[in-house]
Amino acid sequence: MATCWNRISERALVLWLCLSAVPASALTPLPVAPDTWMVQGATEEFDPRNGGDISNSAFIVTPQGVVVIDTGSTLAYGRALRRAIAALTDQPVRWVINTHHHPDHVFGNAAFDDARIMALPGTIAALARDAPAFLATLTARLGETAQGTVTRLPETAVSEGTLDLDGYVLQLYALRGHTGADLVILDPRTGVLFAGDLLFWQRAPTTPHTPSLVQWLADLDELAALEVNAIVPGHGPLARSDAPLLQTRAWLVWLDALLREGVARGATQNELLHTRLPDALARLPLARFELTRSISHFYRRYEDQWWQDGDAPLRPNGEQK
Amino acid sequence: MADGRAQTDPLDSFMWQLYRERYLGDTPVRFDERVRLSAPGFAEDSGQVPVDIDASAFNGRFDRMLLWVELNPIPMVFDYQPLTHGLGRVALNLRLEQGSAVRAAVLSEGVWYVGSTFIDGAGGGCSTPGIASSGKDWSRDFGQVRARRVQTEVANRLRFRLMHPMESGLLPSESPFYIEDVVFTSGEDTVARMTWHASISENPELTIDMRGGDTTRYHLRARDNNGNVLEQDI
Repeated sequence: MATCWNRISERALVLWLCLSAVPASALTPLPVAPDTWMVQGATEEFDPRNGGDISNSAFIVTPQGVVVIDTGSTLAYGRALRRAIAALTDQPVRWVINTHHHPDHVFGNAAFDDARIMALPGTIAALARDAPAFLATLTARLGETAQGTVTRLPETAVSEGTLDLDGYVLQLYALRGHTGADLVILDPRTGVLFAGDLLFWQRAPTTPHTPSLVQWLADLDELAALEVNAIVPGHGPLARSDAPLLQTRAWLVWLDALLREGVARGATQNELLHTRLPDALARLPLARFELTRSISHFYRRYEDQWWQDGDAPLRPNGEQK
Repeated sequence: MADGRAQTDPLDSFMWQLYRERYLGDTPVRFDERVRLSAPGFAEDSGQVPVDIDASAFNGRFDRMLLWVELNPIPMVFDYQPLTHGLGRVALNLRLEQGSAVRAAVLSEGVWYVGSTFIDGAGGGCSTPGIASSGKDWSRDFGQVRARRVQTEVANRLRFRLMHPMESGLLPSESPFYIEDVVFTSGEDTVARMTWHASISENPELTIDMRGGDTTRYHLRARDNNGNVLEQDI
Protein backbone atom coordinates (compact mmCIF):
# COMPACT_ATOMS: atom_id res chain seq x y z
CA MET A 1 0.00 0.00 0.00
CA ALA A 2 2.81 2.41 0.80
CA THR A 3 4.08 2.33 -2.75
CA CYS A 4 0.59 3.09 -3.99
CA TRP A 5 0.31 6.13 -1.76
CA ASN A 6 3.62 7.43 -3.01
CA ARG A 7 2.48 7.26 -6.56
CA ILE A 8 -0.95 8.78 -6.30
CA SER A 9 -0.40 12.34 -5.36
CA GLU A 10 -1.84 13.81 -8.58
CA ARG A 11 -4.55 11.55 -9.81
CA ALA A 12 -7.64 10.20 -8.16
CA LEU A 13 -7.89 7.62 -10.94
CA VAL A 14 -4.59 6.06 -9.93
CA LEU A 15 -5.76 5.98 -6.34
CA TRP A 16 -8.82 4.09 -7.44
CA LEU A 17 -6.68 1.58 -9.32
CA CYS A 18 -4.47 1.09 -6.30
CA LEU A 19 -7.40 0.38 -4.05
CA SER A 20 -9.19 -1.85 -6.52
CA ALA A 21 -9.18 -5.56 -5.69
CA VAL A 22 -8.48 -6.47 -9.31
CA PRO A 23 -4.96 -5.36 -10.18
CA ALA A 24 -5.31 -6.99 -13.59
CA SER A 25 -7.72 -4.22 -14.59
CA ALA A 26 -4.80 -2.05 -15.68
CA LEU A 27 -3.03 -4.16 -18.29
CA THR A 28 -0.94 -2.09 -20.68
CA PRO A 29 0.18 -3.73 -23.92
CA LEU A 30 3.64 -2.64 -25.08
CA PRO A 31 4.38 -2.51 -28.81
CA VAL A 32 6.95 -5.10 -29.91
CA ALA A 33 6.67 -4.95 -33.72
CA PRO A 34 3.93 -3.96 -36.19
CA ASP A 35 0.63 -5.47 -34.97
CA THR A 36 2.54 -7.28 -32.23
CA TRP A 37 2.24 -6.56 -28.49
CA MET A 38 3.37 -7.92 -25.18
CA VAL A 39 1.94 -7.46 -21.68
CA GLN A 40 4.68 -7.62 -19.10
CA GLY A 41 4.04 -9.12 -15.67
CA ALA A 42 5.76 -8.35 -12.40
CA THR A 43 8.96 -10.30 -11.73
CA GLU A 44 7.49 -11.57 -8.47
CA GLU A 45 5.96 -14.70 -6.98
CA PHE A 46 2.16 -15.12 -6.60
CA ASP A 47 0.85 -12.55 -4.15
CA PRO A 48 -2.57 -10.95 -3.55
CA ARG A 49 -0.99 -7.57 -4.25
CA ASN A 50 0.03 -8.53 -7.78
CA GLY A 51 -3.12 -10.58 -8.34
CA GLY A 52 -1.04 -13.25 -10.08
CA ASP A 53 0.10 -10.84 -12.78
CA ILE A 54 3.63 -12.28 -12.74
CA SER A 55 4.26 -13.55 -16.26
CA ASN A 56 4.19 -12.19 -19.80
CA SER A 57 1.47 -12.59 -22.36
CA ALA A 58 1.50 -11.38 -25.97
CA PHE A 59 -0.71 -11.09 -29.02
CA ILE A 60 -0.49 -10.58 -32.76
CA VAL A 61 -3.23 -8.87 -34.75
CA THR A 62 -3.38 -10.82 -38.01
CA PRO A 63 -5.62 -9.93 -40.99
CA GLN A 64 -8.00 -12.74 -40.00
CA GLY A 65 -8.10 -12.26 -36.23
CA VAL A 66 -5.99 -12.00 -33.11
CA VAL A 67 -3.73 -14.76 -31.79
CA VAL A 68 -2.97 -14.62 -28.05
CA ILE A 69 0.14 -16.23 -26.58
CA ASP A 70 -0.38 -17.22 -22.91
CA THR A 71 -3.26 -15.98 -20.79
CA GLY A 72 -1.91 -15.27 -17.29
CA SER A 73 -2.83 -16.73 -13.90
CA THR A 74 -6.51 -15.93 -13.41
CA LEU A 75 -9.84 -15.43 -15.10
CA ALA A 76 -9.64 -11.75 -14.12
CA TYR A 77 -6.30 -11.44 -15.91
CA GLY A 78 -7.66 -13.19 -19.01
CA ARG A 79 -10.62 -10.82 -19.13
CA ALA A 80 -8.39 -7.79 -18.63
CA LEU A 81 -6.17 -9.02 -21.46
CA ARG A 82 -9.23 -9.36 -23.64
CA ARG A 83 -10.27 -5.78 -22.84
CA ALA A 84 -6.77 -4.49 -23.55
CA ILE A 85 -6.83 -6.19 -26.94
CA ALA A 86 -10.30 -4.85 -27.73
CA ALA A 87 -9.03 -1.33 -27.05
CA LEU A 88 -6.43 -1.74 -29.80
CA THR A 89 -8.28 -3.63 -32.52
CA ASP A 90 -11.76 -4.58 -33.69
CA GLN A 91 -10.47 -8.01 -34.71
CA PRO A 92 -11.82 -10.88 -32.60
CA VAL A 93 -9.48 -13.16 -30.66
CA ARG A 94 -9.69 -16.37 -32.68
CA TRP A 95 -6.67 -18.32 -31.44
CA VAL A 96 -4.87 -18.82 -28.14
CA ILE A 97 -1.55 -20.62 -27.75
CA ASN A 98 -0.31 -21.85 -24.35
CA THR A 99 3.48 -22.11 -24.37
CA HIS A 100 3.50 -24.57 -21.44
CA HIS A 101 1.31 -25.80 -18.59
CA HIS A 102 2.43 -23.66 -15.66
CA PRO A 103 -0.44 -21.86 -13.89
CA ASP A 104 0.78 -18.32 -14.59
CA HIS A 105 0.44 -18.97 -18.35
CA VAL A 106 -2.85 -20.86 -18.71
CA PHE A 107 -5.48 -19.89 -16.16
CA GLY A 108 -6.81 -16.93 -18.14
CA ASN A 109 -7.85 -19.39 -20.89
CA ALA A 110 -11.49 -19.39 -19.78
CA ALA A 111 -11.77 -15.72 -20.81
CA PHE A 112 -11.22 -16.86 -24.43
CA ASP A 113 -13.77 -19.63 -24.57
CA ASP A 114 -14.84 -18.67 -28.07
CA ALA A 115 -11.28 -19.00 -29.42
CA ARG A 116 -9.40 -22.14 -30.45
CA ILE A 117 -6.89 -22.90 -27.69
CA MET A 118 -3.76 -24.72 -28.77
CA ALA A 119 -0.78 -26.33 -27.04
CA LEU A 120 1.66 -29.20 -27.34
CA PRO A 121 0.14 -32.61 -26.46
CA GLY A 122 2.51 -32.85 -23.49
CA THR A 123 1.27 -29.51 -22.21
CA ILE A 124 -2.37 -30.57 -22.41
CA ALA A 125 -1.64 -33.82 -20.57
CA ALA A 126 0.44 -32.10 -17.89
CA LEU A 127 -2.22 -29.44 -17.30
CA ALA A 128 -4.94 -32.09 -17.03
CA ARG A 129 -2.77 -33.80 -14.39
CA ASP A 130 -1.69 -30.75 -12.38
CA ALA A 131 -4.60 -28.31 -12.74
CA PRO A 132 -6.36 -29.26 -9.47
CA ALA A 133 -3.16 -28.76 -7.46
CA PHE A 134 -2.39 -25.52 -9.31
CA LEU A 135 -5.87 -24.14 -8.66
CA ALA A 136 -5.64 -24.97 -4.97
CA THR A 137 -2.34 -23.08 -4.75
CA LEU A 138 -3.72 -20.11 -6.72
CA THR A 139 -6.69 -19.82 -4.41
CA ALA A 140 -4.46 -20.07 -1.34
CA ARG A 141 -1.96 -17.53 -2.66
CA LEU A 142 -4.14 -15.01 -4.45
CA GLY A 143 -7.31 -15.03 -2.40
CA GLU A 144 -10.22 -13.29 -4.08
CA THR A 145 -8.14 -12.10 -7.03
CA ALA A 146 -8.31 -15.73 -8.21
CA GLN A 147 -12.10 -15.81 -7.86
CA GLY A 148 -13.90 -17.55 -10.72
CA THR A 149 -10.71 -19.01 -12.14
CA VAL A 150 -11.33 -22.42 -13.68
CA THR A 151 -9.40 -24.88 -15.77
CA ARG A 152 -9.89 -24.59 -19.52
CA LEU A 153 -7.71 -27.19 -21.23
CA PRO A 154 -6.43 -26.42 -24.72
CA GLU A 155 -8.47 -28.58 -27.08
CA THR A 156 -6.18 -28.42 -30.10
CA ALA A 157 -2.82 -30.21 -30.05
CA VAL A 158 -0.10 -28.65 -32.18
CA SER A 159 3.34 -29.91 -33.11
CA GLU A 160 6.66 -28.59 -34.32
CA GLY A 161 6.55 -26.93 -37.75
CA THR A 162 4.43 -24.27 -39.38
CA LEU A 163 1.10 -23.23 -37.93
CA ASP A 164 -1.21 -21.68 -40.53
CA LEU A 165 -3.79 -19.32 -39.01
CA ASP A 166 -5.97 -18.67 -42.05
CA GLY A 167 -2.98 -17.56 -44.05
CA TYR A 168 -0.88 -16.07 -41.22
CA VAL A 169 2.01 -18.46 -40.69
CA LEU A 170 3.90 -18.97 -37.43
CA GLN A 171 6.87 -21.26 -36.92
CA LEU A 172 6.56 -23.57 -33.90
CA TYR A 173 9.41 -25.30 -32.06
CA ALA A 174 8.60 -28.14 -29.66
CA LEU A 175 11.27 -28.08 -26.93
CA ARG A 176 11.40 -29.73 -23.48
CA GLY A 177 13.84 -28.09 -21.11
CA HIS A 178 11.58 -26.06 -18.83
CA THR A 179 8.61 -28.40 -18.23
CA GLY A 180 8.97 -31.34 -20.63
CA ALA A 181 6.67 -29.69 -23.20
CA ASP A 182 7.68 -26.15 -24.11
CA LEU A 183 6.46 -24.41 -27.19
CA VAL A 184 8.51 -21.62 -28.74
CA ILE A 185 6.89 -19.46 -31.41
CA LEU A 186 8.73 -17.50 -34.10
CA ASP A 187 6.83 -15.02 -36.25
CA PRO A 188 8.73 -15.03 -39.57
CA ARG A 189 7.05 -11.78 -40.65
CA THR A 190 8.48 -9.72 -37.77
CA GLY A 191 11.28 -11.90 -36.45
CA VAL A 192 9.77 -11.82 -32.95
CA LEU A 193 10.51 -14.89 -30.84
CA PHE A 194 7.96 -15.79 -28.15
CA ALA A 195 10.17 -17.93 -25.96
CA GLY A 196 7.80 -18.95 -23.16
CA ASP A 197 9.66 -19.87 -20.00
CA LEU A 198 12.66 -21.30 -21.80
CA LEU A 199 13.94 -17.74 -21.48
CA PHE A 200 13.84 -15.66 -18.32
CA TRP A 201 15.18 -12.12 -18.41
CA GLN A 202 15.99 -10.07 -15.33
CA ARG A 203 14.32 -12.73 -13.20
CA ALA A 204 15.71 -16.01 -11.84
CA PRO A 205 14.58 -19.11 -13.79
CA THR A 206 12.21 -21.54 -12.10
CA THR A 207 12.44 -25.34 -12.36
CA PRO A 208 9.47 -27.24 -10.83
CA HIS A 209 8.96 -29.66 -13.73
CA THR A 210 12.29 -29.34 -15.50
CA PRO A 211 13.34 -32.75 -16.86
CA SER A 212 17.03 -31.80 -16.64
CA LEU A 213 19.21 -28.72 -16.71
CA VAL A 214 21.25 -30.33 -19.46
CA GLN A 215 18.12 -30.62 -21.61
CA TRP A 216 17.27 -26.98 -20.99
CA LEU A 217 20.80 -25.95 -21.98
CA ALA A 218 20.50 -27.99 -25.18
CA ASP A 219 17.24 -26.16 -25.94
CA LEU A 220 19.05 -22.85 -25.48
CA ASP A 221 21.54 -23.94 -28.15
CA GLU A 222 18.61 -24.49 -30.52
CA LEU A 223 17.21 -21.05 -29.76
CA ALA A 224 20.63 -19.46 -30.22
CA ALA A 225 20.71 -20.75 -33.79
CA LEU A 226 17.49 -18.90 -34.76
CA GLU A 227 17.48 -15.55 -36.56
CA VAL A 228 15.38 -13.21 -34.46
CA ASN A 229 14.85 -9.45 -34.12
CA ALA A 230 13.25 -9.39 -30.70
CA ILE A 231 12.62 -11.76 -27.81
CA VAL A 232 9.50 -11.87 -25.64
CA PRO A 233 10.66 -13.92 -22.64
CA GLY A 234 8.24 -15.76 -20.38
CA HIS A 235 9.17 -13.40 -17.55
CA GLY A 236 10.87 -10.02 -17.69
CA PRO A 237 11.09 -7.24 -20.26
CA LEU A 238 11.26 -7.35 -24.04
CA ALA A 239 14.80 -7.79 -25.38
CA ARG A 240 16.25 -6.79 -28.72
CA SER A 241 19.45 -8.75 -28.18
CA ASP A 242 20.37 -12.25 -27.06
CA ALA A 243 20.80 -11.05 -23.46
CA PRO A 244 17.95 -13.25 -22.09
CA LEU A 245 19.61 -16.27 -23.63
CA LEU A 246 22.97 -15.48 -22.08
CA GLN A 247 21.47 -14.75 -18.68
CA THR A 248 19.28 -17.86 -18.60
CA ARG A 249 22.27 -19.94 -19.67
CA ALA A 250 24.50 -18.37 -17.03
CA TRP A 251 21.98 -19.25 -14.30
CA LEU A 252 21.49 -22.84 -15.47
CA VAL A 253 25.21 -23.49 -15.96
CA TRP A 254 25.95 -22.13 -12.48
CA LEU A 255 23.13 -24.16 -10.90
CA ASP A 256 24.24 -27.35 -12.63
CA ALA A 257 27.83 -26.85 -11.44
CA LEU A 258 26.70 -26.05 -7.89
CA LEU A 259 24.72 -29.30 -7.71
CA ARG A 260 27.44 -31.45 -9.28
CA GLU A 261 30.20 -30.10 -7.07
CA GLY A 262 28.04 -30.02 -3.95
CA VAL A 263 26.90 -33.60 -4.32
CA ALA A 264 30.44 -34.76 -5.13
CA ARG A 265 31.84 -33.32 -1.90
CA GLY A 266 28.95 -34.65 0.18
CA ALA A 267 27.33 -31.30 0.96
CA THR A 268 23.79 -31.39 2.34
CA GLN A 269 20.94 -29.56 0.65
CA ASN A 270 21.01 -26.89 3.33
CA GLU A 271 24.73 -26.32 2.85
CA LEU A 272 24.11 -25.69 -0.86
CA LEU A 273 21.19 -23.42 -0.01
CA HIS A 274 23.48 -21.00 1.76
CA THR A 275 25.91 -20.79 -1.13
CA ARG A 276 26.94 -17.31 -2.14
CA LEU A 277 25.56 -16.52 -5.58
CA PRO A 278 27.75 -14.79 -8.16
CA ASP A 279 26.92 -11.06 -8.09
CA ALA A 280 25.34 -10.99 -11.55
CA LEU A 281 22.92 -13.77 -10.52
CA ALA A 282 22.36 -12.62 -6.93
CA ARG A 283 20.92 -9.37 -8.32
CA LEU A 284 18.10 -11.14 -10.15
CA PRO A 285 14.65 -10.89 -8.54
CA LEU A 286 13.72 -14.11 -6.68
CA ALA A 287 17.28 -15.50 -6.96
CA ARG A 288 17.45 -16.99 -3.44
CA PHE A 289 13.85 -18.16 -3.65
CA GLU A 290 14.38 -20.01 -6.92
CA LEU A 291 17.70 -21.45 -5.73
CA THR A 292 15.89 -22.89 -2.70
CA ARG A 293 13.28 -24.44 -4.95
CA SER A 294 15.74 -25.79 -7.50
CA ILE A 295 17.85 -27.51 -4.85
CA SER A 296 14.68 -29.25 -3.70
CA HIS A 297 13.86 -30.23 -7.28
CA PHE A 298 17.29 -31.50 -8.27
CA TYR A 299 19.48 -32.50 -5.34
CA ARG A 300 18.22 -36.08 -5.14
CA ARG A 301 18.49 -36.57 -8.88
CA TYR A 302 22.09 -35.33 -8.93
CA GLU A 303 22.97 -37.60 -6.04
CA ASP A 304 21.32 -40.53 -7.84
CA GLN A 305 23.53 -39.74 -10.81
CA TRP A 306 26.59 -39.57 -8.56
CA TRP A 307 25.74 -42.96 -7.13
CA GLN A 308 25.24 -44.42 -10.60
CA ASP A 309 28.44 -42.98 -11.98
CA GLY A 310 30.59 -43.98 -9.04
CA ASP A 311 31.17 -47.54 -7.95
CA ALA A 312 28.80 -47.02 -5.06
CA PRO A 313 27.50 -49.76 -2.81
CA LEU A 314 23.94 -50.69 -3.64
CA ARG A 315 22.46 -53.95 -2.69
CA PRO A 316 18.98 -55.27 -2.13
CA ASN A 317 17.66 -56.03 1.30
CA GLY A 318 18.63 -59.40 2.70
CA GLU A 319 21.39 -60.18 0.24
CA GLN A 320 24.29 -62.08 1.80
CA LYS A 321 27.45 -60.14 2.41
CA MET B 1 9.76 -25.16 37.08
CA ALA B 2 13.14 -26.56 37.99
CA ASP B 3 15.05 -23.91 36.10
CA GLY B 4 14.68 -20.49 37.69
CA ARG B 5 16.29 -18.83 34.69
CA ALA B 6 13.94 -20.39 32.18
CA GLN B 7 14.04 -18.30 29.03
CA THR B 8 11.26 -17.23 26.76
CA ASP B 9 10.83 -19.05 23.48
CA PRO B 10 12.56 -17.08 20.69
CA LEU B 11 9.83 -18.22 18.28
CA ASP B 12 7.05 -17.39 20.74
CA SER B 13 5.19 -20.56 19.81
CA PHE B 14 2.17 -21.62 21.83
CA MET B 15 3.21 -25.29 21.50
CA TRP B 16 6.63 -24.86 23.07
CA GLN B 17 5.55 -25.46 26.67
CA LEU B 18 3.57 -28.57 25.78
CA TYR B 19 6.48 -30.33 24.10
CA ARG B 20 9.04 -29.04 26.57
CA GLU B 21 7.06 -30.79 29.29
CA ARG B 22 6.39 -33.88 27.22
CA TYR B 23 9.87 -34.46 25.82
CA LEU B 24 12.25 -32.67 28.19
CA GLY B 25 10.41 -33.19 31.47
CA ASP B 26 11.74 -31.46 34.58
CA THR B 27 15.31 -31.23 33.34
CA PRO B 28 16.63 -27.63 33.07
CA VAL B 29 16.33 -26.12 29.62
CA ARG B 30 18.32 -23.37 27.87
CA PHE B 31 17.93 -21.92 24.41
CA ASP B 32 21.47 -22.03 23.10
CA GLU B 33 23.10 -20.90 19.85
CA ARG B 34 25.41 -23.90 19.97
CA VAL B 35 22.46 -25.98 18.73
CA ARG B 36 22.04 -24.66 15.21
CA LEU B 37 19.23 -25.69 12.89
CA SER B 38 19.49 -25.07 9.20
CA ALA B 39 16.51 -25.46 6.88
CA PRO B 40 14.97 -23.71 3.89
CA GLY B 41 12.63 -20.87 4.88
CA PHE B 42 9.78 -22.63 3.11
CA ALA B 43 8.91 -26.19 2.11
CA GLU B 44 9.09 -26.45 -1.66
CA ASP B 45 8.15 -30.13 -1.32
CA SER B 46 6.39 -30.60 2.00
CA GLY B 47 7.07 -34.34 1.88
CA GLN B 48 10.82 -33.83 1.62
CA VAL B 49 12.11 -30.97 3.74
CA PRO B 50 15.84 -31.05 4.51
CA VAL B 51 16.85 -30.13 8.06
CA ASP B 52 20.44 -29.96 9.35
CA ILE B 53 21.36 -29.88 13.02
CA ASP B 54 24.81 -28.67 13.97
CA ALA B 55 25.74 -29.21 17.62
CA SER B 56 29.41 -29.77 16.80
CA ALA B 57 30.33 -27.19 19.45
CA PHE B 58 29.63 -29.93 22.03
CA ASN B 59 32.35 -32.03 20.39
CA GLY B 60 30.33 -35.19 20.90
CA ARG B 61 29.95 -34.64 24.65
CA PHE B 62 26.22 -35.03 24.91
CA ASP B 63 23.93 -37.90 25.84
CA ARG B 64 20.96 -37.41 23.57
CA MET B 65 19.65 -35.26 20.77
CA LEU B 66 15.94 -34.88 19.98
CA LEU B 67 14.34 -33.31 16.92
CA TRP B 68 10.65 -32.45 16.72
CA VAL B 69 8.24 -30.47 14.54
CA GLU B 70 5.64 -28.79 16.72
CA LEU B 71 2.67 -28.82 14.37
CA ASN B 72 3.18 -32.21 12.76
CA PRO B 73 0.62 -34.93 13.61
CA ILE B 74 3.60 -37.01 14.72
CA PRO B 75 5.81 -34.27 16.20
CA MET B 76 8.85 -36.36 17.18
CA VAL B 77 11.33 -36.97 14.37
CA PHE B 78 14.19 -38.78 16.09
CA ASP B 79 15.91 -39.51 19.38
CA TYR B 80 19.67 -39.86 18.87
CA GLN B 81 22.16 -41.35 21.31
CA PRO B 82 25.69 -40.61 20.11
CA LEU B 83 27.30 -43.22 22.44
CA THR B 84 31.04 -43.59 21.69
CA HIS B 85 31.36 -42.38 18.08
CA GLY B 86 28.43 -40.10 17.24
CA LEU B 87 29.08 -36.39 16.77
CA GLY B 88 26.81 -33.40 16.80
CA ARG B 89 26.06 -32.99 13.10
CA VAL B 90 23.00 -34.73 11.71
CA ALA B 91 20.90 -33.96 8.64
CA LEU B 92 17.79 -35.64 7.31
CA ASN B 93 14.62 -35.02 5.33
CA LEU B 94 11.27 -34.82 7.03
CA ARG B 95 7.60 -34.25 6.35
CA LEU B 96 6.01 -30.92 7.20
CA GLU B 97 2.24 -30.92 7.64
CA GLN B 98 2.08 -27.10 7.81
CA GLY B 99 4.29 -24.16 8.67
CA SER B 100 5.85 -24.99 12.05
CA ALA B 101 8.56 -24.38 14.57
CA VAL B 102 11.22 -27.09 14.45
CA ARG B 103 13.26 -27.82 17.58
CA ALA B 104 16.45 -29.67 18.31
CA ALA B 105 17.35 -30.37 21.94
CA VAL B 106 20.75 -31.61 23.08
CA LEU B 107 21.15 -33.11 26.57
CA SER B 108 24.59 -32.39 27.99
CA GLU B 109 25.62 -32.59 31.65
CA GLY B 110 22.08 -32.50 32.89
CA VAL B 111 20.79 -29.59 30.80
CA TRP B 112 18.74 -29.60 27.62
CA TYR B 113 20.16 -27.07 25.15
CA VAL B 114 17.61 -26.11 22.52
CA GLY B 115 17.90 -24.66 19.03
CA SER B 116 14.93 -23.63 16.87
CA THR B 117 13.93 -22.62 13.38
CA PHE B 118 10.67 -21.97 11.57
CA ILE B 119 9.74 -23.44 8.19
CA ASP B 120 6.85 -22.02 6.15
CA GLY B 121 4.58 -24.77 4.87
CA ALA B 122 3.82 -23.37 1.41
CA GLY B 123 6.11 -23.95 -1.54
CA GLY B 124 6.44 -22.05 -4.78
CA GLY B 125 3.38 -21.32 -6.88
CA CYS B 126 3.77 -23.93 -9.57
CA SER B 127 4.89 -26.72 -7.32
CA THR B 128 2.83 -29.85 -7.32
CA PRO B 129 2.85 -32.20 -4.36
CA GLY B 130 4.96 -35.26 -4.68
CA ILE B 131 7.13 -34.19 -7.60
CA ALA B 132 9.89 -36.14 -5.91
CA SER B 133 7.72 -38.94 -4.58
CA SER B 134 7.80 -42.40 -5.99
CA GLY B 135 4.07 -42.67 -5.34
CA LYS B 136 2.96 -46.19 -4.55
CA ASP B 137 5.68 -47.68 -6.70
CA TRP B 138 8.11 -48.01 -3.80
CA SER B 139 8.13 -51.79 -3.66
CA ARG B 140 10.52 -52.00 -6.61
CA ASP B 141 13.37 -50.44 -4.65
CA PHE B 142 12.21 -51.40 -1.17
CA GLY B 143 14.99 -52.15 1.26
CA GLN B 144 17.86 -50.88 -0.86
CA VAL B 145 20.47 -48.82 0.92
CA ARG B 146 22.84 -46.41 -0.75
CA ALA B 147 25.75 -45.17 1.31
CA ARG B 148 28.82 -43.02 0.98
CA ARG B 149 31.40 -41.45 3.23
CA VAL B 150 33.42 -38.28 3.12
CA GLN B 151 36.45 -37.78 5.32
CA THR B 152 36.50 -34.25 6.73
CA GLU B 153 39.14 -32.75 9.01
CA VAL B 154 37.15 -33.49 12.13
CA ALA B 155 34.97 -36.47 11.30
CA ASN B 156 33.78 -39.16 8.98
CA ARG B 157 30.66 -37.87 7.37
CA LEU B 158 28.41 -40.81 6.53
CA ARG B 159 25.51 -40.43 4.19
CA PHE B 160 22.74 -42.97 3.62
CA ARG B 161 19.59 -43.24 1.60
CA LEU B 162 17.25 -46.02 2.69
CA MET B 163 14.49 -46.98 0.29
CA HIS B 164 11.48 -47.28 2.57
CA PRO B 165 7.97 -45.75 2.33
CA MET B 166 7.95 -44.59 6.00
CA GLU B 167 4.15 -44.76 6.12
CA SER B 168 2.72 -43.12 9.21
CA GLY B 169 -0.57 -44.97 9.35
CA LEU B 170 -2.40 -41.65 9.46
CA LEU B 171 -4.10 -42.25 6.12
CA PRO B 172 -7.03 -44.66 6.36
CA SER B 173 -5.54 -46.81 3.61
CA GLU B 174 -2.20 -47.21 5.38
CA SER B 175 -0.91 -49.15 8.33
CA PRO B 176 2.05 -47.71 10.21
CA PHE B 177 5.11 -48.98 8.36
CA TYR B 178 8.32 -47.17 9.17
CA ILE B 179 11.89 -47.61 10.27
CA GLU B 180 12.08 -47.19 14.04
CA ASP B 181 15.49 -48.43 15.12
CA VAL B 182 18.82 -47.43 13.55
CA VAL B 183 22.02 -48.83 15.04
CA PHE B 184 25.60 -48.10 14.04
CA THR B 185 28.26 -50.62 14.89
CA SER B 186 31.99 -50.74 14.34
CA GLY B 187 33.48 -54.18 14.78
CA GLU B 188 31.61 -55.74 17.70
CA ASP B 189 30.67 -52.46 19.34
CA THR B 190 27.50 -50.42 19.10
CA VAL B 191 28.88 -46.93 18.51
CA ALA B 192 25.72 -44.81 18.00
CA ARG B 193 21.98 -45.33 17.92
CA MET B 194 18.81 -43.55 16.77
CA THR B 195 15.09 -44.07 17.26
CA TRP B 196 13.10 -42.83 14.27
CA HIS B 197 9.47 -41.80 13.85
CA ALA B 198 7.18 -41.62 10.84
CA SER B 199 7.67 -37.86 10.42
CA ILE B 200 10.83 -38.76 8.52
CA SER B 201 10.26 -38.66 4.76
CA GLU B 202 9.73 -41.52 2.39
CA ASN B 203 13.16 -42.84 1.39
CA PRO B 204 15.02 -41.27 4.31
CA GLU B 205 18.31 -39.54 3.66
CA LEU B 206 20.55 -39.40 6.70
CA THR B 207 23.83 -37.54 7.00
CA ILE B 208 25.70 -38.12 10.26
CA ASP B 209 29.19 -37.23 11.46
CA MET B 210 31.13 -39.93 13.32
CA ARG B 211 34.46 -40.14 15.09
CA GLY B 212 37.07 -42.28 13.45
CA GLY B 213 39.84 -42.31 10.88
CA ASP B 214 39.64 -43.10 7.22
CA THR B 215 40.10 -46.81 7.93
CA THR B 216 37.30 -47.03 10.50
CA ARG B 217 34.54 -49.31 9.23
CA TYR B 218 30.92 -48.81 10.18
CA HIS B 219 27.83 -50.91 9.79
CA LEU B 220 24.30 -49.52 9.64
CA ARG B 221 21.40 -51.71 10.70
CA ALA B 222 17.90 -50.24 10.37
CA ARG B 223 14.84 -52.19 11.49
CA ASP B 224 11.25 -51.25 10.70
CA ASN B 225 8.15 -51.94 12.80
CA ASN B 226 7.37 -55.01 10.66
CA GLY B 227 10.75 -56.55 11.37
CA ASN B 228 12.39 -55.85 8.01
CA VAL B 229 16.10 -55.13 8.37
CA LEU B 230 18.07 -52.87 6.06
CA GLU B 231 21.84 -53.15 6.40
CA GLN B 232 24.88 -51.53 4.89
CA ASP B 233 28.63 -51.52 5.48
CA ILE B 234 30.49 -48.33 4.89
